[in-house]
Amino acid sequence: MTERSGFKKPVKVVIDGREIVAEAGEMLLQVALDNGVEIPHYCYHPKLSIDGSCRMCQVKIEKAPKLAISCNTPVADGMVVDTKAGEVVEARKAVMELLLLNHPLDCPICDQAGECYLQDYSFGHGRSEARTTSPRRKGVKRYPIGPRVVFDQERCILCRRCVRFTHEISKTDELRVFGAGDRSRIATSQDRPLDNPYSINVADVCPVGALLSADFHHKRRVWFLEETETVCPTCSNGCNVKIGAFRNRIERLVPRRNDEVNDTWMCDHGRLNYAFVQDDTRLREPAIAGREPREPVPVAGPIDYTRDSDGREVRAAGPSVDEAIAAAAASLRAAVATYGENSVAVVLTPTLTNEETLLLARLVREELKTPHFALAVPLGLSDDFLIKPEKVANARGARDLGVGPGDGGKDLAGILAACASGEIKVLWVVGSDGLVAAAGLDAVEPAVANLEALLLQDTNRSALTDRATVLVPGCTWAEKDGSMTNHAGRVQRIRPALRPPAGLVADGEVFARLASALRGEATAPFEPRTAFAEVAKAVPSYVGLEWARLGSRGLAAGQGA
Amino acid sequence: MAARVVTVDRRSLRAKGGAFGARAFAKGLSVTWRHFSRNLMGWVRGTPTVATVMFPEEDVVKPAAFRGMPVLVQMDDGKERCVACGLCEWACPVDCISIDPAETPDPIERHPLRFDIDMGRCMYCGLCEEACPEEAIVMSDRVEISAFSRGGIVWNKEDLLVPQDQLARRLDWIRRSYDR
Repeated sequence: MTERSGFKKPVKVVIDGREIVAEAGEMLLQVALDNGVEIPHYCYHPKLSIDGSCRMCQVKIEKAPKLAISCNTPVADGMVVDTKAGEVVEARKAVMELLLLNHPLDCPICDQAGECYLQDYSFGHGRSEARTTSPRRKGVKRYPIGPRVVFDQERCILCRRCVRFTHEISKTDELRVFGAGDRSRIATSQDRPLDNPYSINVADVCPVGALLSADFHHKRRVWFLEETETVCPTCSNGCNVKIGAFRNRIERLVPRRNDEVNDTWMCDHGRLNYAFVQDDTRLREPAIAGREPREPVPVAGPIDYTRDSDGREVRAAGPSVDEAIAAAAASLRAAVATYGENSVAVVLTPTLTNEETLLLARLVREELKTPHFALAVPLGLSDDFLIKPEKVANARGARDLGVGPGDGGKDLAGILAACASGEIKVLWVVGSDGLVAAAGLDAVEPAVANLEALLLQDTNRSALTDRATVLVPGCTWAEKDGSMTNHAGRVQRIRPALRPPAGLVADGEVFARLASALRGEATAPFEPRTAFAEVAKAVPSYVGLEWARLGSRGLAAGQGA
Repeated sequence: MAARVVTVDRRSLRAKGGAFGARAFAKGLSVTWRHFSRNLMGWVRGTPTVATVMFPEEDVVKPAAFRGMPVLVQMDDGKERCVACGLCEWACPVDCISIDPAETPDPIERHPLRFDIDMGRCMYCGLCEEACPEEAIVMSDRVEISAFSRGGIVWNKEDLLVPQDQLARRLDWIRRSYDR
């Protein structure tokens, strides 16, 4: 975008007395930001074209006739720049005054408060009091400019970042500046809604509170959010995101910059796909067929003992995770002893981390010794930008780790057909949503109807939940630590943002306990960091990758060497 | 164990103490009688001179600067003035305030769906009042927090709302003292 073609030779510039070496053609503002010199700016965004409309980034350049906007000034050899000169400070103060001329100053009800450039720069570079006495310009407030974005015209400073986003990134061109001068305003052409798969990104690029995510609107002050750097689980692209959580609930997802994966963007679907972590469909209790479901404890008083500190119902002791694992192990052992190893099949929806997948793969190959091991990958719509067809996070990782049919093993369709015909007696499903989406409920229904036992590990209620002989609820991606591999083979860390529901353990720990139950001997508890060392050894292209070096942006497979 | 023996002349002590005691007794009684007769005269004249009030039936008028329990200002239309900006929640040093914001159809856009103050934790510092940009939470003159359960001392929004005309004195005071 800002790249200029041609050769790049190093140039020396002096910014605030510091000598900095940069490449010719780079813009002064970016050079300053890269070297830790803070220059306030609104309209400049590293992933969008240069607009130069806000005038906030003006600096003094020696021998230049007047102040220059640093975002659109290429560095030149011998340039001497002063970002703190008296006239620069005055210019910033004037720009701030102009931008705040019609600003409603409704920070107490503005979702942007706390991460607002206007707020920050007003404290850092503005006046403390307004000099205007005339009434402020009125505009539309909380206008639903699109199904997922709310627009507040009064707060807009006309930096045109959103206009450039819809023109250059989403390429949908919904937003434009209409009118001129004091009557300029952002709007959509012919009141067409701002509706594209990436629309909420305009709320991220907006430096003020003019464009806001409807999902996060008036939900929580940003300074209360605990942020965790992790990876989006919705498709195999693995966009880098931050989870903003409060009181053990996810309040929002926002993208974070990773030029190798998602620049600074993410799709709306991924951003809004977090409710399953905390809604009523979440499975919180293990179950074993034939055992009574648990009843709520009828204890109430000054302190409500029927609810835990998160307000969830506390129930009497029923089957624990360990009892469910023991029941699953007994069922698997009985099937192998009675009908042989080929009577057991395992289907995995690859939402697990690499470490967990490796444990599962070893369990299937070494303990169960069944060749019927299939991957269920739900497919969906994709585009040529971020949205990938595989709608699970770690399909590539599972394939890299060798998940798939062994010698003489059946694929997913074959397993389901064999279940229906009675050839396979016990089906162990890890993640049922992928199975149902990939094979279709019509194929799954007759298969599970004819089984002796359906062992199900899942996070949310699905069509199969009530059919399970043994149900072991697991943790979602937001509660786990580990690594995942995106479609292009980039190995990235996910980090736990939430505490899992009481009594539940990560799927990796379930596999470790199941392995020890099948072997009849104790195995080490699951620990992602040490398990990753095994993963790095198990896959040739991962050799040399280290847990500590994955950092916040991950490493591409093959970068270990 | 070796004991140290001290011989005490109890007769002289008793004589001294007895004389002192009678003097003190008379002095104390004179104070009682003085107040009794003054209050009696005040009662007879109809101008009471007693500092004590019959709490809780009667209450003292506290100065405007008095910091009692924080309460929410209720506007004349019955709604809270609070917009759930969360600044008091952030300013509170003992974390006794918890707010869940929500959107309203009103032009104000935003209000607290839930506004709880754990009065068992509150230490009456008044930082919530000072942080509030809307003059929506103020320190009242209430100090009683008796309740039958621990849950009872967590006051919710309905408990906390006080009509603004009852808080006029305090609102006037904070406008002057915080230079608003």
